[in-house]
Amino acid sequence: MHFQKKRCVAMLLAGGQGSRLKVLTENTAKPAVPFGGKYRIIDFPLSNCVNSNIDTVGILTQYQPLELNEYIGNGQPWRLNSSHGGVQVLPPYAGSKGAEWYKGTANAIYQNIPFISRYNPDNVLILSGDHIYKMDYAQMLREHEKNGADCTIAVRTVPMEEASRFGIMNTKPDGTIYEFEEKPKNPKSDKASMGIYIFRWEVLKTFLEADEANPNSENDFGKNIIPALLNAGHKLMAYEFEGYWKDVGTISSLWEANMETLGKDPAFDLTGKDGIKIYARSAAQPSTYMSNTAVVKDSFVAEGCEVSGRVEHSVVSVGCTIGEGASIENSVIMPNVVVENGAVIRHAIIGEGVTVAAGAKIGETQTCAVQDMQIAVVGKDQLVEAGSVIAPGAVI
Amino acid sequence: MNAMGVIFSNIYDSSMGDLTDHRTSAAIPFGGRYRQVDFALSNMAKADIKHLAIITKYNYESLMLHLGSCAEWDMTLEENGVVLLPPYATGHTGVYRGKLEALYTALVMLELSKEDYVVLTDTSVLAAVELRKAIQSHIDSGCDLTVICKDGQCDGKREQTLAVLTDENGKVTDMTVDFAATAEYSASMGMFVISRKLLMDIVRSTVPHGKYHWERDFIQAEFLKKTISLNVYKHPTVALFNESAAEYYENSMALLDSKVRKELFHSEVPIYTQTRNEVPAFYGDNAKVNECIVADGCKLYGQCNRSVLFREVLLEEGSQVSDSVIMQGSKVGTGAVLQYVVLDKAVTVKPYTRLIGSPTHPLYIKKGAIV
Repeated sequence: MHFQKKRCVAMLLAGGQGSRLKVLTENTAKPAVPFGGKYRIIDFPLSNCVNSNIDTVGILTQYQPLELNEYIGNGQPWRLNSSHGGVQVLPPYAGSKGAEWYKGTANAIYQNIPFISRYNPDNVLILSGDHIYKMDYAQMLREHEKNGADCTIAVRTVPMEEASRFGIMNTKPDGTIYEFEEKPKNPKSDKASMGIYIFRWEVLKTFLEADEANPNSENDFGKNIIPALLNAGHKLMAYEFEGYWKDVGTISSLWEANMETLGKDPAFDLTGKDGIKIYARSAAQPSTYMSNTAVVKDSFVAEGCEVSGRVEHSVVSVGCTIGEGASIENSVIMPNVVVENGAVIRHAIIGEGVTVAAGAKIGETQTCAVQDMQIAVVGKDQLVEAGSVIAPGAVI
Repeated sequence: MNAMGVIFSNIYDSSMGDLTDHRTSAAIPFGGRYRQVDFALSNMAKADIKHLAIITKYNYESLMLHLGSCAEWDMTLEENGVVLLPPYATGHTGVYRGKLEALYTALVMLELSKEDYVVLTDTSVLAAVELRKAIQSHIDSGCDLTVICKDGQCDGKREQTLAVLTDENGKVTDMTVDFAATAEYSASMGMFVISRKLLMDIVRSTVPHGKYHWERDFIQAEFLKKTISLNVYKHPTVALFNESAAEYYENSMALLDSKVRKELFHSEVPIYTQTRNEVPAFYGDNAKVNECIVADGCKLYGQCNRSVLFREVLLEEGSQVSDSVIMQGSKVGTGAVLQYVVLDKAVTVKPYTRLIGSPTHPLYIKKGAIV
């Protein structure tokens, strides 16, 4: 079989367990977690690829891959069903030397050197499956090539007092990276790595092979590969990104990112005012019905819903039923949730397929400052019994 | 299923008024996110019928765009998949006058097919039909032709293309064509099951003799001569007959009834359509939306009652819309008031404009107009 040579192949790391998302990732890989009413987290990097004319994407899965594999399918919703590339789900597989789990991010790419090599690409783009953002990778690639860099790392400016929580790139005025510090106590720079890398493939391949041969390595891009490239004197450049970007690896950040899509002038615009569309696999759902008792304000409500209750400052995903007298506020309702009559949901994330029975109360019911509120979470397919009370911040 | 399909995409074009000005009846938007052909295709998909001809006449560009690669229905555009047959497709026919003539275009395809049965369907009657059951009923009956019918549609006022009267054994005792039959008659849903070989014989023996009307020149003519055996399969759930512009409006409003929505959209037969990748609908701080069907991509800042809103409709602050059908991409400006209106696609209603139709004669605004 003949494969077209590619300028850039994308590798999307989607194997993370996402344990900080607790019950939401109990049976679901983190990239498959629903977001914004009709999307899943992985739709963002995948759509970015398509919108950046990258037509060959490998998705590295490991943890709970079934749902994710099914979701990706042949890649058609993202126009990635190309016969000259397209999307390929790459689980760890058994080779002649025995089966091996992906030991780390670098090892995951190492194990898939044969997949990448058949396209003989000039560059490889490494992406994470747990970030919400819209980014033109093509522009980053142009900068990378123009600079003649061996590696270009996307960075964004973070407040200096928070810089010690991130992987920080110390750069010269021209953007050249001279030092990388993981969570530095005394940060010298406010440029945090976004976990988005473009490598010259021949350079990366050499370093992946060397890294694999080192038994003391953790096989991680941030901890091992980037420092090794720096030590060897390779040219690493920072690429500054100024748009919205959020790591949705925690309950509160996932909730916040959803809330930041709301309002007339949202921090993160889903509606495509910028002309950038996010693609998703859609279920066959009819349009939504708003009954004569529905009250919906400052909220997204996706298709396939029947709404008779009150929804305020919330995201309601596809296929939900919100009964009469039910009240939802500051919450994320994932797909196919039933909220029965009179139930109250505040400051919560309700997982896929949950039933909140009549009169149940979830989340904050007292008045207190919004910033102090804890997010209540109900895991996939749970039944919240009629009349029960779930405390703010509770995770069930 | 051992059956192939034939979809007539444009039989009611002339009675749909401006709705078919730029599109064939199969491509008429319905119910917020669908086009009429989605129901026929989804019924076929559920019965595993993936080999079918779509016969077109005029204005089929929007239909082709909608079908795309047919992936949404799990079908493919290929020789043994979905084949689009415009007039002159085979060199045998020009623009046809009726379904018999239209089928002449499909003769080559019918000959080359392997399936024993053919399901024929118009796109104007919207229903979730379990075609498997209809085909089984046809086979069990041993009859020449099965007519899929709906009870309760005939009312002595609305003209039906074909209506049949059956006795207690289900035997057809009378039949009317293009007539407002009374309530005891069952209305044909424009869906039929017939053996492929018989269908080819009929087309070959009628069309060269100047016959073209499927219901009158074939079914009724043979029925009167007693040379055809008929089976009637009665579709049990809701069926919306969109055979005129007035019915289109009535049936759009019928979707506000939960029983109609349940039987049409939440049955054994899921209705698929082309995905458009719009974001969920957004409701602003002052939005007040009640008894409405709302599709993805809408931005609603105004008030809306008893209406159907298609994808990407914008209702600005202070706008008031009621009893209306607003198609994809239309915008209603600040302070505008609309009642009993059908806005076709991409209409712009300027701020503070008032557009008021009547329940029996809704005001229709054509595609792309600026009012």
